[in-house]
Amino acid sequence: MATLLQQVINGLSLGSVYALIAVGYSLVYSILLFSNFAHGGFLVIGGYLCYGALKTLGLSIWVAGFISLLGAGVAAVVTERIAYKPIRERTRVTLYLLIASMGMSIVIENIFVIVAGGRFRALPPVIPTQPVHLFNIATTSAFDLLSFVVALVALGCLQIFLTKTKWGLAIRAAACDLRTAGLMGVNVNLLVSIVFFVAGALAAIGGIFLSVRYTLYPQLGAITIKAFVAAVIGGLGSLPGAVVGSLILGLAEMLTAGFISSQMRDLVVFSLLVITLLIRPTGLFGKQVGEKV
Amino acid sequence: MAALLELDRINKSFGGVQAVQNMSFMMGERDVVGLIGPNGAGKTTIFNIITGVYAPDSGRILFEGEDITSLKTYEIIQRDIARTFQNLRLFPRSSALENVMTAAQCQEPYSFAEAVTHMGRWREKERSIRDMSMELLQRVGLADRALQPAGTLPYGYQRRLEIARALALNPRLLLLDEPAAGMNPEEVLALNELIREIHKDFPLAILVIEHHMDLVMEVCPHIICMNFGAKIAEGSPEDIQNDPEVLKAYLGEEENHHD
Amino acid sequence: MSGYTEGIIILLCINGIAAMGVSLLTGFTGVFTLGHAAYMALGAYTSAILTVHYGLHWFPAILLGGGVAVLVAYGIGVPTLRLMGDYYAIASIGLGEAIRLILENWQSLTRGARGYPGIEPYTTLPVALTFFVIMAICMFNFIKSRYGRSFKACRDDYVAASLLGLPTAKIRILSLIISAFYCGVAGALLAGFLSFIQPIMFDMLKSTELTAVVVFGGLGSMTGTLVGTVVITLVTELFRPISQYRMLIYGAVLVVIMVLRPEGIMGGLNGEDLTRKFFRRKDHGGTP
Repeated sequence: MATLLQQVINGLSLGSVYALIAVGYSLVYSILLFSNFAHGGFLVIGGYLCYGALKTLGLSIWVAGFISLLGAGVAAVVTERIAYKPIRERTRVTLYLLIASMGMSIVIENIFVIVAGGRFRALPPVIPTQPVHLFNIATTSAFDLLSFVVALVALGCLQIFLTKTKWGLAIRAAACDLRTAGLMGVNVNLLVSIVFFVAGALAAIGGIFLSVRYTLYPQLGAITIKAFVAAVIGGLGSLPGAVVGSLILGLAEMLTAGFISSQMRDLVVFSLLVITLLIRPTGLFGKQVGEKV
Repeated sequence: MAALLELDRINKSFGGVQAVQNMSFMMGERDVVGLIGPNGAGKTTIFNIITGVYAPDSGRILFEGEDITSLKTYEIIQRDIARTFQNLRLFPRSSALENVMTAAQCQEPYSFAEAVTHMGRWREKERSIRDMSMELLQRVGLADRALQPAGTLPYGYQRRLEIARALALNPRLLLLDEPAAGMNPEEVLALNELIREIHKDFPLAILVIEHHMDLVMEVCPHIICMNFGAKIAEGSPEDIQNDPEVLKAYLGEEENHHD
Repeated sequence: MSGYTEGIIILLCINGIAAMGVSLLTGFTGVFTLGHAAYMALGAYTSAILTVHYGLHWFPAILLGGGVAVLVAYGIGVPTLRLMGDYYAIASIGLGEAIRLILENWQSLTRGARGYPGIEPYTTLPVALTFFVIMAICMFNFIKSRYGRSFKACRDDYVAASLLGLPTAKIRILSLIISAFYCGVAGALLAGFLSFIQPIMFDMLKSTELTAVVVFGGLGSMTGTLVGTVVITLVTELFRPISQYRMLIYGAVLVVIMVLRPEGIMGGLNGEDLTRKFFRRKDHGGTP
């Protein structure tokens, strides 16, 4: 029973980190209607910036974190401007954006391979990881609690941004129809940049936590595919869906690892993806769009 | 005359909106029937239901006595029903000829092995499909533009291409959805001619949705008028022109009217 | 001819066969896949196991490799091909990764992530060339037939295609099966070329490469697919000495192509028209 609770907590913690990544990813999808496979790259950028700030510059975690968010956000905007903007201005075929995003993903990953080397790096232990006892029922680590709380706060801020600010409203409008939002006077290019900045920043937070959990290496971005699966399960383009999907995925992974085997983890992730697509392709919260004949 | 097509109390709603209400009518083998009504009356929905794109909530479609209501679209088409589209659905990157050949090829099938090896009946059948298609293009006046990509054809020609493509299916029932949309009066006259010719030369029945009254009244000896998903009038052009319900549907309430 | 050049040509044949398969599905039928490396994996492992463990001759082994890919494609294709657009692409990623993971974890059969060594090097130059030429002829013939028109109709307007009496679901499945066969055979040939295979060789990177080659060559042009294969294979081979930068350049190339000319090399152009113009032959007017 204690193990079950343990794994549930682990699952929620992992899921909340996935949620940060999945939400940013889903946000981009809802606006531009394509899967940005380079999203993992923003995660890695965030991780390395934080590492660099902590280790080389000896800054506090708060400053390092801030730099990491800022840097990843800017990187995301730059990626969009050089790789996606020219394509989306010319054509509506999302496949081209998809392939470009794969290219960017490879580029970012390999920049770090060349510059930082492929070794696994451990972040300096500034994020507490000591065990915490909960009500004498289960033991978890401070890290798990912290990542859960941080994710909650970050997503809460995002929610406030989307519902209470002018740009948040613009983003929600654009998620319905980008072109119409543009016709209504929204500066589409600026909006897209803002969305990418937010997505990048969220990915950076996720990246920092994942680097602590799994150590930092250039291919860490590959984990984004799980966030991607989570986004699909929750419904592509739906932010609450991305969160719910991420939690489900985190739980599924941890429960599998705990009770079946560690190797089956990834298999379970992809099986969930395929099952979702077979039963309900639009996911839990996705919208069905019919075609007029 | 035995009914070629029969709609029996068809009902269809979309999320609370009743698109088609209790629709019933019959058509014979060589009939030319016009289907008119204001926008949103449910006319295209009827076409979609007949061709299996939508399933009706209740009711049946009978074609030559057979209940085709629950058949898949391609099965219905294979029973010799063809349609054109309100908003044109050509294959824009393929040539006009290829568009028609894609339809005509069902008439001259050959096997997978013959397709892969280009042996056996491949050459003969391909030639046959090609000849058939060129003939149809000739009929609609597109022979000299056969190799032009369909997407680059002038609008009027695109409409004709759709008709040629539908004819390539060798249909016994041809459903034309607003074939004259966007055409000027001259083009409409030419289209009238084309429809008459088609009806003369091919053994088929035609059901036409149209807003251009000059086409409908000229070409269709029998007309059905719909409004809000239901049939409100049916009869000859004279009957329809004088029917108060029809006038109300198109023009709104009138205190007194005279024609 | 040096061994190195021979190797390049064999690799070109193998990549060409796989690319043609993906091209049929993606460029001609409009189904985007990012998981076809899995079919190569299935072909490779089937052939490896049959030749090494059961001592089967390589020729039937290669064909059976294709056959296993076909069976799996059919099994998962039937339920998933109902999905349109992005959703199928996503499913293909999931399926591709799932197959790779199964191969990695089924240690008793596949020897797991460490790889399957000791495969007889049956893919000699004549073998590779023969398979390539025959399969290419079949493919080019095939797309110039009623099947080619049906596939393109499904790609350009799925609804209109069904309203021309085409059984669109069956057509998509047929396209998937043929593409799986081609990738399976390519995988089997690869196993006989490298004498060693590992699941990681058939990951999403490889799948993306296959799709990228097809896009690069121009969707809807089989000639373009082959040209694209030649270019990408040669470029990756040329950059092998500086393998550190190889991937970086590869990624950059993908981005640059999409930004500058997404319609690919042959996009809008037609191989047949060009050949005709080049040789100035008055043809009976083949369909574009």
